[in-house]
Amino acid sequence: MAGKSGRTISATPKGGMKEKILSLEGALIIAFIAINILGRVLSPNYNLTNVMRESPRYLAEIFMLFGMGFILVLGDIDISVGAIVCLSATMGCLSSNAGLPMGLAILVTLLTGLCCGMINGFIATRFTELPTMIVTLGTQIIFRGIAEVSLGSGGSASLKDYEGIGILRVKLGPIPLAFFLIIICAVVFIILLSRTTFGRRLYAIGSSKTAAKYAGVEVEKLRFICFSLIGFLAGVCGLFILASTYGANTTTGQGFEMEVIAMCVFGGIATTGGKGNLVGAFISALIIVCLRIALGQINMNTQLILVIIGIMLIVSVLVPSFRQKYLALKK
Amino acid sequence: MKKKVISVLLCAAMATGILAGCAGTTAPAPEAAAPAAEEAAPAEEAAPAEEAAPAEEAAAEEAAPASDAAAGTFAIVTKSAGNPFMDRLASGFSEVIEAAGGTVVRQDPESATADAQITVIQSLISQGVNTIAISANDANALISVCNEARDAGIKVLTLDSDVDPSARAVFCNQAGVEAVGQQLIDAVYDLTGGEGQYAILSATSQATNQNAWIDAMKAIQEGDEKYSKIELVEVAYGDDEPQKSTDQTQALLQNYPDLKVICAPTTVGIAAAAKVLQDQKSSVKLTGLGLPSEMAEYIGDDDAHSCPYMFLWNPIDLGRLAGYASLALYDGTITGAVGDTFEAPTLEASPYTIVDNGAGTEIILGPPFKFDSSNIDEWKVVY
Repeated sequence: MAGKSGRTISATPKGGMKEKILSLEGALIIAFIAINILGRVLSPNYNLTNVMRESPRYLAEIFMLFGMGFILVLGDIDISVGAIVCLSATMGCLSSNAGLPMGLAILVTLLTGLCCGMINGFIATRFTELPTMIVTLGTQIIFRGIAEVSLGSGGSASLKDYEGIGILRVKLGPIPLAFFLIIICAVVFIILLSRTTFGRRLYAIGSSKTAAKYAGVEVEKLRFICFSLIGFLAGVCGLFILASTYGANTTTGQGFEMEVIAMCVFGGIATTGGKGNLVGAFISALIIVCLRIALGQINMNTQLILVIIGIMLIVSVLVPSFRQKYLALKK
Repeated sequence: MKKKVISVLLCAAMATGILAGCAGTTAPAPEAAAPAAEEAAPAEEAAPAEEAAPAEEAAAEEAAPASDAAAGTFAIVTKSAGNPFMDRLASGFSEVIEAAGGTVVRQDPESATADAQITVIQSLISQGVNTIAISANDANALISVCNEARDAGIKVLTLDSDVDPSARAVFCNQAGVEAVGQQLIDAVYDLTGGEGQYAILSATSQATNQNAWIDAMKAIQEGDEKYSKIELVEVAYGDDEPQKSTDQTQALLQNYPDLKVICAPTTVGIAAAAKVLQDQKSSVKLTGLGLPSEMAEYIGDDDAHSCPYMFLWNPIDLGRLAGYASLALYDGTITGAVGDTFEAPTLEASPYTIVDNGAGTEIILGPPFKFDSSNIDEWKVVY
């Protein structure tokens, strides 16, 4: 496995670490298959048609996973994405209701997301002394506030143009459009992060910002790009939420930021930056989605499902570090 | 190299997943499989056994093996978990369905949002339940998923809090919106003494029923000279969370020193406000909609009690009504059209008839009931 002809992309220099990451992905794939078999055993309704029919809400969330992966690798965090989803869905819905053709309304939705991301990026890169957690906590409140004001006293807007948004609901057999887009995004972003100079620079920044700067990496520019990117992807998420709920309300996107961060962490991306990759994050996102759908189908208490996911999250973070200790002992 | 191995593994995993999914419905369903399995089984067994009721069979649709309630699965989706009002609704609903021999599936969304309810309803569609009764967190956001349920042959009805009328068969309303609005505004008029400031402490800003009642109150107030001297200063939103409702009540007291009355048309809000007012020995009076068991210690005519009287309907009865409506929709007794009638044996006002409320069809349980110091002791043990 070692031969990469000098193009070692892995975030960390040590071989032991590489082994660990590889095994983590292997374990995740096994977990994914296990969850699907479990779902099949537990619920007679767990089949492709039903899973795909239940998936759109989760798929929308997965779009943000890729952007969040970049942000976490940088050592930053963005907790405003849930609010961006809400604001972009709101803007898309209101602009369509105001008479804009659906194509333009879709554009408005995406641009709203992009703008929010750029605002985050601007503040985070201009005032580097501010922790991004605080920056995005602030913008989260602002974005959601704007959405709530725009939605007015009812706090809910309903899309009038059902047919127009239908283009986002098309399916090939049982498989929705969003699923294909997710696969394309997964391929593009995984390659971008693991095979390009751009990706390697992100790891460099995440490992040590100062070192990266001295090495000539345009740290702030790259951070700005990543924040804009996740904003845009949150806009995409907002668009698909709009398509699946025909509207937006003040609770749209609530808690999405933490769910997306959880998927990343579950997949082995460290919130401290510079570690992990999108392959793991993507598989773990699929695991969480399948698990939630399967447990939902056997009518497990929804709060209990959250408890299970919480436990899985902590275990998944602990296992690699235990493994490392064990390996160190063996040597 | 490593990446290639991973990507091959990944593809293999996804293919396995999809194949596992495609394996079809013939895969062995183990005993452990929950209610849905029971439903699939009678589909085969019941067919020959059910010859006795051919007429009823004709009325039943698609997946429904027979119109006998014993073979049906009836779902109820609440607004949120840990909400006593919702627990009472669900208990009434379950009682009726179980008495008829049907299977009840109760689902609480993970949070009090429409998004979380969509997830739950999607799952119920997969399970192929026969009816779904929903207390909606948002009138619009659930339209799409309700239509999906209907397309899958599932009867959708709402109780307590409605969705857009186009998306459901019928709405089980606790009381006419006008009647509630009228009673609340009259209570405010009475408690203020005919003039002065009052505020409303509501649930979430998009809660369908609360908004409808508040709008009705405003409309009645504007339309009648009698109410011209009472002034609504603010509608505060406690989001049906005790802590936030408490904070909002304190903010109202601080911002409006001349406030005379708070009207809280939500059980969580009124309980939180009652505690604040009574603890602070405030002269502000409270009315609204509350659960007798939670409000008993605050109800009284003297200054030591914060709430002279309040209103509510019986949530257990409302749950029962939704249960009967579910059964009637399932066996085809009603379709949701105006004028349809069905029996509800354990309810006093039976039989019920579906009426038009201007926007859609509904079944009205009855007028709201007034709780004051004279009857609260008797009711606090009931619910």
